[in-house]
Amino acid sequence: MITLQQLQELFYTSVFEHGSENHTTSKLGHYINETEGLSSIDHFNIYKGSITASLNRALREIYPVCNRLTGDNFFNAMGKEYMRNTTSRSADLANYGEDFQNFIASFKHTENLTYLPDVANLEWAWHRAFHAADESSIDLAALGKVPEADKPHIVFYLPVSASLIASEFPIQHIWQVNQSDFEGDDRVDLNEGGIKLLVWRKDYTMRIDPLDDVEWCMLKEIGTGHTFDTVCTHLCKHDPVLDIEKMLPILVQRGWISSFSIDD
Amino acid sequence: MEPILPESAPCFMEDVILSRFKEIEISGAGIGLRSQHYQQILDNKPNVHWFEALSENYFGEGGLPLYHLEKVREHYPITLHGVGMSLGSATSLNTNYLAKLKRLVDRFEPAYVSDHLAWVSVNGKYLHDLLPLPYTEEALTIVAEHVIQVQDFLGRTLLIENPASYLSFNNSEMTEWEFIGELSKKTDCHLLIDVNNIHVSAINHGFSAIEYIDAIPSERVREIHLAGYEDHDTYLFDTHGHRVHPPVWDLYEAALERFGPVPTLIEWDTDIPEFSVLMEEAAHSDALLEKILS
Ligand SMILES: [Fe+2]
Repeated sequence: MITLQQLQELFYTSVFEHGSENHTTSKLGHYINETEGLSSIDHFNIYKGSITASLNRALREIYPVCNRLTGDNFFNAMGKEYMRNTTSRSADLANYGEDFQNFIASFKHTENLTYLPDVANLEWAWHRAFHAADESSIDLAALGKVPEADKPHIVFYLPVSASLIASEFPIQHIWQVNQSDFEGDDRVDLNEGGIKLLVWRKDYTMRIDPLDDVEWCMLKEIGTGHTFDTVCTHLCKHDPVLDIEKMLPILVQRGWISSFSIDD
Repeated sequence: MEPILPESAPCFMEDVILSRFKEIEISGAGIGLRSQHYQQILDNKPNVHWFEALSENYFGEGGLPLYHLEKVREHYPITLHGVGMSLGSATSLNTNYLAKLKRLVDRFEPAYVSDHLAWVSVNGKYLHDLLPLPYTEEALTIVAEHVIQVQDFLGRTLLIENPASYLSFNNSEMTEWEFIGELSKKTDCHLLIDVNNIHVSAINHGFSAIEYIDAIPSERVREIHLAGYEDHDTYLFDTHGHRVHPPVWDLYEAALERFGPVPTLIEWDTDIPEFSVLMEEAAHSDALLEKILS
């Protein structure tokens, strides 16, 4: 007698079994009833098809631009390969596909699409920000009241929704022209240069903000969670003429710094 | 005199008094809440008795989905319906999942919380589909333990829904309706009877849908689902992407005869139509519910 766990494990393995090597599937077939017109394997394949389709649908919803850039057939084939390599550990499909960009980077058929992993990175950051916790903006009154002696010990935080993304390709431009509501010239020159971005959510509005080198360095450094003192030391080493005192209020005002604490 | 609690109220009187919402109980026809319709619902406040929200769509930490659910809940009672509990897993339930569900239940005070008689994962690995069980004594013991665990954790009665299925296992020792009857006895759970699923499975496996309905313990039925399937020639496939088909409306009338005027949901998950189409389907369901009442 097969136990329920053995049967479910057999089913699981069969779903991701390749076409020709179907030992597990035929073993599973012994436990499935045939009906008129459908063999036991036909019955199983209905599930195999619907599982694959729903995982691909989940990837397509998170990565619509990657899907558009590669076309449905290519994207689905890539998704199938990804599924075989990636176990879904969460009951919530919104958590599926986090490392898709790494997979794309290693997928041999995307060699010519060098920018695709970075586009995927941008799309995951967007997806993550969309579902991130709600957050109010920084308490400026409280920040103003921090005693002078405590100021070096302030730890600033980026919004919980924020991801810092850099690419040597114009991924924001690629992303924009591949939005369903985009109108205009959709050509992108891959040589137009790289970009640094902060992807985040301000209240319920999604934001993709381009950053210059100074903003990028500051946000990267602040994002490490060090005290302001340490952040300043690191930044000065990197760029001795950087005017941190002038820059900080600008970052705060843009909403890129959302909270602070005093480290004691 | 003892206060009389409505059937669907949370277990503790304090909860009822402290509720943030006007309405908890549901009756009549409801509509599945889908993101495509948020704006229309909030702008026009259509005359819908209640909405059913898919629990996992609101498992995020924040953002627009929860904002919209909050707004909808201010005006309508809701139910929470899940697909990820995996009550039929031979391996243990996902406690992280249950914690997220409890957070939603506490916040939104649904009339009912439901999930399926199915398995979705094994050893913590998810297939994200409602997969069929062999109807054995072993499976019955496992599912019953899981239902009891969830009911204890949530502090409320679960509604278990019969799935649509495309295969049956030859080691089954009882029918699906016998399994559901036994499960409800062992766990005191309530039932969500999906009439479309019964029709689909009856055609796919060659059993009598009426025999199925007649065997369900009617006193436990709290909700009915209606949806549209697709005919794939050798089998019916439950896409939730069409209007309710005529034989399912017929079966629904038979179900109402037996179960009484049970709150009924119009489910639609793929190729989501204009909201007015869902309103028409709900109106049809409401007319049949009224007929039973009179
Ligand atoms: Fe259903």
